[in-house]
Amino acid sequence: MRGAGLRQGALGLALVLPPLLVLGFLVALPAVTAVLATLTPDGGGGPTLANYARVLAARTLRADIVFTIGITLVSVAVVFALSYPLALYLRFSRGRAARILGVLFVVPLFVPVVIASFAMITFLVNHGLVSTLLYRAGVRAFPRLVYNGTGIMLTQVWVNIPFAVLILGAGLQAIDDALIDGARDVGAGPLRTFLSIILPLNAVPTMIALTLLFIGVFGSFTIPYLVGGNAPAMLGVTMTNYLTQYLRRTEAVTIAVLAFLIASVVGAVYVASVSRRERGAA
Amino acid sequence: MSGVLWPWAAAAFRRAAGAAALLALASFILGPLLTLLVWAFAGTWLFPNLLPEFSLRWWAFVLGNADVGKAIRMSLLSAPTATLISAVICIPAAYAFARLEFPAKRALLLSFLSANAFPKIGLYVSIATLLYRLDLMDTFTGVVLIQLVNTLLFMIWIPTGTFRGINRNLEEAARDAGAGPLRTFFQITLPIALPGIMVAGLFAFIAAFDEAQGTLIVGTPNHMTMPVLMYNLVLSYPQPVGAVFSILLSLPSLVLLLFAQRYLRAGYLAAGYSL
Repeated sequence: MRGAGLRQGALGLALVLPPLLVLGFLVALPAVTAVLATLTPDGGGGPTLANYARVLAARTLRADIVFTIGITLVSVAVVFALSYPLALYLRFSRGRAARILGVLFVVPLFVPVVIASFAMITFLVNHGLVSTLLYRAGVRAFPRLVYNGTGIMLTQVWVNIPFAVLILGAGLQAIDDALIDGARDVGAGPLRTFLSIILPLNAVPTMIALTLLFIGVFGSFTIPYLVGGNAPAMLGVTMTNYLTQYLRRTEAVTIAVLAFLIASVVGAVYVASVSRRERGAA
Repeated sequence: MSGVLWPWAAAAFRRAAGAAALLALASFILGPLLTLLVWAFAGTWLFPNLLPEFSLRWWAFVLGNADVGKAIRMSLLSAPTATLISAVICIPAAYAFARLEFPAKRALLLSFLSANAFPKIGLYVSIATLLYRLDLMDTFTGVVLIQLVNTLLFMIWIPTGTFRGINRNLEEAARDAGAGPLRTFFQITLPIALPGIMVAGLFAFIAAFDEAQGTLIVGTPNHMTMPVLMYNLVLSYPQPVGAVFSILLSLPSLVLLLFAQRYLRAGYLAAGYSL
């Protein structure tokens, strides 16, 4: 019996090893070499934080960091504020409108982000469809909607709503109807039922949605590159420019590691939340 | 009087508010795509006309462009390669995660989330510096490796869930009837798991095919896939060019989606995206 267990253990590890090696090569190894490279001074010698000091000394980069965090927080908040009601509506409504919405909201999932960004530009740009309609309606002055933070935020919302609704919806689906009916029976109104039954029971999927959204927006490149303005830029654009335009690899990696650090807590919460949901499911 | 009217008015108000919300969401989601579609068939579209002057001349321009042909070839070679490699290495691993007991199983399964837990672009920049040292920049291998970053997770987690959902009794019955472990896997387990594996493959293919930001760094200038070329077209050509190319770029995913439609019930969608 013990021999069979050992054999199974060995077989399991052997089967899991190939994708694990690829993963190690694509995630762990680059991350570790990046951190080590940024800590090594150019002229040789012991580890130093000189690269970080140099990169952070640039005011434009500090502005980019603030801009990136700000855009990320606003985008996550807007996506969440739109997605939670939508997920609730899809979970508890049965009408034709719910069916149409149920199909409609997944559309952006199947549109590549490059196309989504371009479509948003044609939609929102000065002389695009929105401004044409506003002009025809007699509105002559309105804020710029694209090539700035607003454009990035609107596109992030467009791209991310399906993810958030699907994750939140899967959590809501798992809540037993009997619990909600029970709350109603003892006289709880919709708001009370939401706050004291649905919200806490859906806490883990909510954390997964929020953390994934944060990391996704924070680490995005395509949307800010195409829909954003020149300065301030989001960090994804900044580090790619350092790497491919200015050919300054060390600075690019230093900014990448800074991004890892800023998002690390959120990443850890994400993994912990999925782990908790897994334990509940298994 | 108002006491009698009030519930009716409230219901009408709720209905109107619901319809308005539906309309707003529909225009927000469909508006950009419709604009794009119109642009693809526009010769010129002058402000503030509601419709352009229609023409197909940009189609001839895009389809006659040599870079476009090259990018289509690169995409149709690299994305299936990445999907296939991840299927071959991940499906046995997924079976092991679902059925076998081995040390550190949970931690290893969770480790596949790490690709999602890092800001993607930071990861790509780090991978690029590694590929510089290995002389893999601007190579086909480099492009496939970058695409694998996004396919592994789908190919591990969705099939693991599918294998877990298969009743063990079926496999044990086959074993009792004298089938060996490999025969049981290929004749019993794999056919039952096929829908889940198809969905995983679909997600993996779309993720690989749509990958743009990492491939832009790793594949420029000679190994550009369709989404990477799209950056250039958006930034340096008139709008109809980008619009025409967008339609070309959406075709493979759309065809696959129609093809795999019956597998794509809401449950599977959620499974793919709650990772």
